[in-house]
Amino acid sequence: MDNLIIEGSKQTPEINFDAASGILSLSGRSIPENTFEFFNPVLNWLDAYALEAPDKVVAKINLEYFNTSSSKYILEILKRLKGILKDGKDVLVQWYYEEDDEEMMETGEDYEDVSGLTFEIIGFEE
Amino acid sequence: MAKQSIYQREVDSLEQSKAFLKKNEYSKLELQLEFKKNVENYEELIDQVKIITRISDRLQRKLNKTNEALESSNTQLADLNNQLNETIDQLTEAKIGRRASTIVMFIAIGLFIISEAFIEPIIDRAFPDNFWVGLGLKLIVAILIKPGEDFANKYMLKKARKKQLEDAKVAK
Repeated sequence: MDNLIIEGSKQTPEINFDAASGILSLSGRSIPENTFEFFNPVLNWLDAYALEAPDKVVAKINLEYFNTSSSKYILEILKRLKGILKDGKDVLVQWYYEEDDEEMMETGEDYEDVSGLTFEIIGFEE
Repeated sequence: MAKQSIYQREVDSLEQSKAFLKKNEYSKLELQLEFKKNVENYEELIDQVKIITRISDRLQRKLNKTNEALESSNTQLADLNNQLNETIDQLTEAKIGRRASTIVMFIAIGLFIISEAFIEPIIDRAFPDNFWVGLGLKLIVAILIKPGEDFANKYMLKKARKKQLEDAKVAK
């Protein structure tokens, strides 16, 4: 399966989903003008990936800021990962936040609660 | 636009339920299954709304904090810019003041030489016994030095400020 690589911009996050290693990175800022257009290919990729995911999948999410509709899509991404977990694979979400960014840390905790996935919430210095 | 919606799955589910309602007859099992599906969907939607609202509010708070920090930085920058402009003005004034003094000093030396070489002999010939006429002329020249310096200073400052404004316009 091909990797999914989308270069980041001022409004869209960088996506680097490595199919073979199972490392799925999402980073940057997510305020696309058309969230459907941006995230739909990502969700489609994950749907296909669920059928051939390796035994261990690690999602690395490092977002500086995202808008409300992106928050819905992040939830959808986590749902797809939950599907992979239900298929018996090991799924870990590493949620990164800048150490003084309390809001992003709490957001990670909320996603952890609602998704039922294992989260590592990791603070880093700017 | 339903197919392009971020709530595409939820809209599809609603359409299915509407289609179900249009049926004329339902078995008890069909009704139970449909109701169960709708309850599950509704529960999921409520969970989504709760989390998305919470996250949205929190990110709005983050945005507000960032805006406040930005405003504060802008105020500090404006203050620093004012201080810098004041310092530049002071430096310009000092520089021009020194230049004006030099120019006036050279003019005074020139006037002294002209006075000694050309005017003094004429005065001596016209007023051979009057010492005060020559002295008075030198006094007038000496008194005019300070206002001359002020005038030169003001003129050069005005010119320098005009140049600064033009440079600022070009920079914009």
